[in-house]
Amino acid sequence: MPISRRDFLLRTAGFVSVSAMVPRWAVAGAKMFEESVGAEAAGRTLVVLELMGGNDGLNTVIPYTDPVYPQVRSRIGIPQASAIPLDGKLGLNPVMTGIKALWDKNRVALIENVGYPNSSLSHFTSRDIWHTADPALAQRRGWLGRWADAAIGNDDNPLACAAISQSLPRSLLADNVSVPSFVNIASYTYSTDGAYPGDRNNQVNTFLLESSDQYEIENTVSEVTGLGTAAISSSTILQSVSNGYVAGGQYPAGSLGAGLLLIAQIINANVGARILYVTYGGFDNHANEDADHDDLVRTVSDGVKAFFDDLDAHGKAKDVLLMMWSEFGRRVQDNASKGTDHGTAAPHFVVGDAVKPGIYGGPPNLTSLDSNGNLKIENDFRSYYGTILSDWLKADANAILGAWPNLGFINEAF
Amino acid sequence: MSSINWTRDAAAHLLRRAGFGGTPAEIDALYAKGLEGAVSSLVDYEAIDVSAYETALAAKNYNTSTNRGLTQWFLDRMAFSPRPLEEKMTYFWNLHWTSGISKVRGVTLMLNQNKTQRQYALAKFDDLVVKISQDPAMLVWLDNWLSQAAKPNENYARELMELFTLGVDSGYTQSDVTAVSRALTGWTLTPRSYTQADNYNGATFQDIAAIHDNGSKTILGQTGNWSGYDAINIILGWADAKGTKSGRYLGAKLWTYFSSTYPSDFLVEQIGAVYDSKGHSVREVVRAIFLSPEFYEAHTRKTWVRSPVEYAVASVRMLEGTTDFGTAVNSLSGMGQVLFNPEDAKGWDWGTSWMNTGTLFARASLSNTLSTNRGNNGTRFDPNKLLAGKDASTADKVVDILADRLNITDVTPNVRAGWIAYMNANDDGSRGNWTNTAANVDKKVRGVVHLMLTSPAFHLA
Repeated sequence: MPISRRDFLLRTAGFVSVSAMVPRWAVAGAKMFEESVGAEAAGRTLVVLELMGGNDGLNTVIPYTDPVYPQVRSRIGIPQASAIPLDGKLGLNPVMTGIKALWDKNRVALIENVGYPNSSLSHFTSRDIWHTADPALAQRRGWLGRWADAAIGNDDNPLACAAISQSLPRSLLADNVSVPSFVNIASYTYSTDGAYPGDRNNQVNTFLLESSDQYEIENTVSEVTGLGTAAISSSTILQSVSNGYVAGGQYPAGSLGAGLLLIAQIINANVGARILYVTYGGFDNHANEDADHDDLVRTVSDGVKAFFDDLDAHGKAKDVLLMMWSEFGRRVQDNASKGTDHGTAAPHFVVGDAVKPGIYGGPPNLTSLDSNGNLKIENDFRSYYGTILSDWLKADANAILGAWPNLGFINEAF
Repeated sequence: MSSINWTRDAAAHLLRRAGFGGTPAEIDALYAKGLEGAVSSLVDYEAIDVSAYETALAAKNYNTSTNRGLTQWFLDRMAFSPRPLEEKMTYFWNLHWTSGISKVRGVTLMLNQNKTQRQYALAKFDDLVVKISQDPAMLVWLDNWLSQAAKPNENYARELMELFTLGVDSGYTQSDVTAVSRALTGWTLTPRSYTQADNYNGATFQDIAAIHDNGSKTILGQTGNWSGYDAINIILGWADAKGTKSGRYLGAKLWTYFSSTYPSDFLVEQIGAVYDSKGHSVREVVRAIFLSPEFYEAHTRKTWVRSPVEYAVASVRMLEGTTDFGTAVNSLSGMGQVLFNPEDAKGWDWGTSWMNTGTLFARASLSNTLSTNRGNNGTRFDPNKLLAGKDASTADKVVDILADRLNITDVTPNVRAGWIAYMNANDDGSRGNWTNTAANVDKKVRGVVHLMLTSPAFHLA
């Protein structure tokens, strides 16, 4: 339900109680909000879940009828008979009952063998390529940052994009949109001297002044100046989003569950959030993958299921699309330390009511490998991104990514 | 080539970069030594007696068998050791190739890695590379202890070249990664049952021939039955017409760390030439950086974004505060840098990636504790000590004293006026007139220090 300008101002004014502190950003933010809710796709949110470290696609989506699989995964393979079939050839890791439940409701698209040409086996190069959508690494901004600059660069909404992350993911690095990052709302506020509460407004006002002034220091880093203003703006709104919130899903313990819950709260606060980003790490399973990987994909699967249960309980699911990515898949052949080294192509999930359910591409060919023993790419990651940009965010994907085939996994008419 | 204009401001800049910032007295003392004397006093730090500090540190009884205590111990060294560059370099190596406690689990192994990084902080680079490649925490962190001749584990071999010595674009290939991983097989831990042994702390390095790959390997064009030592020699000696690639890679990274600017190709080659001609001596590379005119140019100053660790250390050091770093340890997670526990092998990115709205508030939380803790324990400073003996009769005089102490006198007149207005402001925002009374010092001097510590100027060193 959209909120009115009056609600918005009341909501924001609750934080700093003096009239001087209902400043230009709050007015501009309210104006932006009323204008944007009517625009095409403006009520839609994209949730991005990054699996950091390189998720092992072959132990996530199992080629459960391929006789080569148990040979190349003799140490850590998932027993093929235990996979949860999605079709006649591919099945989910048996711990992924949450994703299966969403699949059964026609809310899951599985994109197989996603990657980019001439894969770098470096985490960091690969991650930068995925963040910028540019294998040549000539782009400074992220792919979502370029979208944000083009689509909402003039809006001045402090929460149009946000990252539930200790650091700003480069995907969201933009020129004209400031993206707050946080993991915990309670501490997301400017601390002042508890002994003199009456002096707080003076401190906050001076903090805003010193943060927004142009420094004379030569070469001073622009990302450092101006940050305080964005911080105070977003803090003011965020302080209220969890008030009285009743979660409609059973989130798993840990950072991913907490992050997805926070995202659900922000979505339900109707503050005009367009891109919400959350990271989950631990996927670099060079060793002892047999002991570690199931817990990771179970948490992802349970977390996404809980998130959509929560959105359903609040009538919000139709406004949300969730996509996952990871910088690469892993080597087809497992190694002697019960792990897998860096690989290339991998499957990724897109979840929401707007997907055209099904499997796009695959199953992975375990015998036709590149010279390093890695899977060959079938779907370029820019097609994966572009389909979401054009058919969910209704953006000009060509302008952001160049021309790439649309994979058709989003229902355009949704 | 321009010459260096050695001023007190240049000395303050050197102390911020080669250390964690200084008090006015420390800056004066460094300035008085002249350029070469000042650089030598930092770089040739073995001449500085640390026994009194070590005794005082030991008396604090930080529990280095916990990650919390280990972090407090390292922060204390950075803030209070009389050898600032020794700790600044140890911190560099911690950023360059730290391991992560979440995987290593043995805190003693992390402590020992830190000691190794300090012991070899300015040594011949080759010696440090061997020591870290055989370091138990690193062997666990990047899996080399599990690597065996049959199907070796590539994790350490890749990062050794990509992150630690050569750089991802230096020209090595996947087949070099595989060959180096084969050469490093056998560098492992004893006991082999590491995961249960002694709460993960008891492991030591062992070279086991039985699991070493004795086959022929081709590393960067050289073929032979290479050992781990051979592989490191080949990697560090790999050169083109401009010299070794490891010298340019390490030199560029050290330059960026200390000067906060990206060096030109010409400058990188100059630094690489020092590395090559001085037997891969890190000490001589660092000395050359601090003696180079480019290091002192105006555009290098106040551009280094303090990491959370540097922020915690510099704020307490420059205010001559007192702390057990308990609050700092609590704040590190929110500020985005849990020391000894990076998310991945690359460690943290530097620069502006430290700064976002969430980490800014976390810094403000730490600063608020330092500024307003009036008790006798924990992180605190004494506002009266900073004003003692000075004319602190008006708000603008107090602001100038404090801005000088924090090395942030270069803010705009508008910001300075804002601080003065804050000090003079009544609670309702109307203009009052600050006078130097105990109550006003307690309220507004603490308050303005908090504002200064959270201003953009102080996030930059």
